[in-house]
Amino acid sequence: MNSETRPDAALVGRGNREGARLFREWFEVLTQAAEQGRGGAYVFVMGSLGELLRTFDLPLVFPEINSLQTAVRHVAHEYLNEAEDHGYSPDICGYVKADVATQMRSGVLPMGRIPKPAIAICTNACNTYIKWGEIWERMYGVPIVTLDVPGNRSAASRSGPGEPEFETDRRYVAAQIKEIIPLLERVSGVKFDIDRLRENMAHANTMNRCWKRVLELNRTRPAPFSALSDGTIYLGVANTQRGTAAGAAYFTDLVEEMAYKGREGIGTLSEEKYRLLFVGVPCYPIFRRFAEMFAEGGGTFVNSTYLWFASGGANTGFECRLDDPLEGLAEGLLVGVRDAMDSMFFHTQSLLEMYRDYDADGVIYHPIKSCRTVSTGLADSRRALMAAADVPSLYIESDMMDRRVVSEAQLKNRIDAFFEGLATRRRPPALETGGASQRT
Amino acid sequence: MAYAAGVDVGSTQTKAVVIDESRKIVGRALIDTGANVTLAAENAFRLARAAGDLTEEEVEYVVGTGYGRYKVTFGNSQVTEISCHGRGAVQMFPNTRTVVDMGGQDTKAIRVATSGEILDFCMNDKCAAGTGRFLGAASAALGVPLDQLGPLALSGERPVKISTTCTVFAESEVLSWLGKGKKIQDILLGVHQSIALRSAALLRRVGIEEQVTFTGGVTRNIAMVETLNDKLGVKVNVSEDSHFMGALGAALFALDHILASRVAEHPGRGAA
Repeated sequence: MNSETRPDAALVGRGNREGARLFREWFEVLTQAAEQGRGGAYVFVMGSLGELLRTFDLPLVFPEINSLQTAVRHVAHEYLNEAEDHGYSPDICGYVKADVATQMRSGVLPMGRIPKPAIAICTNACNTYIKWGEIWERMYGVPIVTLDVPGNRSAASRSGPGEPEFETDRRYVAAQIKEIIPLLERVSGVKFDIDRLRENMAHANTMNRCWKRVLELNRTRPAPFSALSDGTIYLGVANTQRGTAAGAAYFTDLVEEMAYKGREGIGTLSEEKYRLLFVGVPCYPIFRRFAEMFAEGGGTFVNSTYLWFASGGANTGFECRLDDPLEGLAEGLLVGVRDAMDSMFFHTQSLLEMYRDYDADGVIYHPIKSCRTVSTGLADSRRALMAAADVPSLYIESDMMDRRVVSEAQLKNRIDAFFEGLATRRRPPALETGGASQRT
Repeated sequence: MAYAAGVDVGSTQTKAVVIDESRKIVGRALIDTGANVTLAAENAFRLARAAGDLTEEEVEYVVGTGYGRYKVTFGNSQVTEISCHGRGAVQMFPNTRTVVDMGGQDTKAIRVATSGEILDFCMNDKCAAGTGRFLGAASAALGVPLDQLGPLALSGERPVKISTTCTVFAESEVLSWLGKGKKIQDILLGVHQSIALRSAALLRRVGIEEQVTFTGGVTRNIAMVETLNDKLGVKVNVSEDSHFMGALGAALFALDHILASRVAEHPGRGAA
């Protein structure tokens, strides 16, 4: 009996419970490092190189995840206000501002405390990463490395392993990774161990393979998990535990849970009326309520571009070669970050496929004030999707961090109207009306 | 004969419409919303019934709409004003493909199918610029009653440019133009053009397809109709009942329920 067929009702909800446990444990490690005065490796969700950094015993700090947690825990405004009082504009990335305030608070967060950076690894997947890294450089004088991962800037010209263009880019990325290693040795005082890297990469391969399978299993009707609420928990583990045995075990178990729920017909809603796709970044200041507003209309999110790009492309299920770990790591980074960038900027075709494969009823676009990188172009993307196919879609704006620009009443009105439109589509033709009213 | 009603509780005014099975309006009422939203809904519904000489029992189904729709406690269900304005506009002007609804605190651009189905919509976000409230601010700043804004604006010849996108700051800008010696008529024409431009931008986001129907309370302002025609390059549909379009749409949804329940009770009997 394989792991996808073992019957066990206790599996239900295990991913959420274990995800919360792993998150707490991760923060305990960070808090301990901060209290011992050890530095951490500051990394981002798109191209973290967690597999490599762990070989140097550097605790991984994900500033994006820390910041969004302040919003989920309803204290983001305190952090944002502090950064704005310090001179940061209301118009820039909320994640950056919450982190600035966190640094000014000596790393204190509701979940614990984070260590100061010993080094930061950025990629060019998000332009803000680079400017963010410069803030830490100014604050602490620590080395900031920006990996230049060649993107496509056109989904149509995507190349893959073995093709000349891809191989050129892979060598370029591999050279950058090799350049970092002496720096990491110096910062951490730990000698590079390629066998540890190979082991971590094997765990990351398992996580990628399972993450892809978990997403596929949500094609089941009803969907075993909400891509918006549950999915974000899984995503947290995908990032913070990348390259660990615990992460690999978690995702292996998650496949088992989703397969079980799918087989048993256990969905996230008592009645799944509409299957929805989500494009953009979640509304963390009212995270639970945001999902509820859709659930009230019978809508559940079956997949999202967020689960793609914020997993750094792990959704591709790409498994790195282990015979030459550094070349394999470069290949994996290139595939993952490229896919993440495509998921943000060139997703029309992917969404059409997702709409078909997940038997979806509509697409929700959620541009946010805080992140121009991911939001700019969403209106064009939506127009392109609607021109390509008769896909119902909703365009609602709020923010990932700043509750000052989140209006629940306005969101609710638009969401209700969207569901009314979906219901009208299903209304029997006999009830359609015509003709003009007369004034009496 | 069955009757259905729609009650549209807006931010400034509450409208109620009662229709019969042939979808003809038999009663309508319009009152200020005030602070007691539920009372406003009850009063508007009562007045609309009185206009149609109907008892409460004769109205089989009531749909509440507008921002206060959940306060229509006697209503049977709620539908958003987005769906209701689309539905009402298509009922009133069957060739409608785009609706612009201008109310007290928001403006909506809605693209509709021939069935009244909402294909797309867009609204002003977190800001009252380009809405009826903008006119209210100008009215207060210039000391001109709301019902005189339109006729005065149309007599303007050299409209000023209102550059601010904030309703609060617009009041300051209006006063600054007064300070520069500009005529009230020219300032008002500028205010109307500013609103029309913002509404046109909203409409472009959903795609402007003729015919365009203008709904909401601001339809009673003749200068708003004219400047909207000018900025859109099309003549918008307006009727005496445009202000009631949301309530009419709600009443049509109410009638759907009545007809659907008949079909359920007597299979084979279609809609009237």
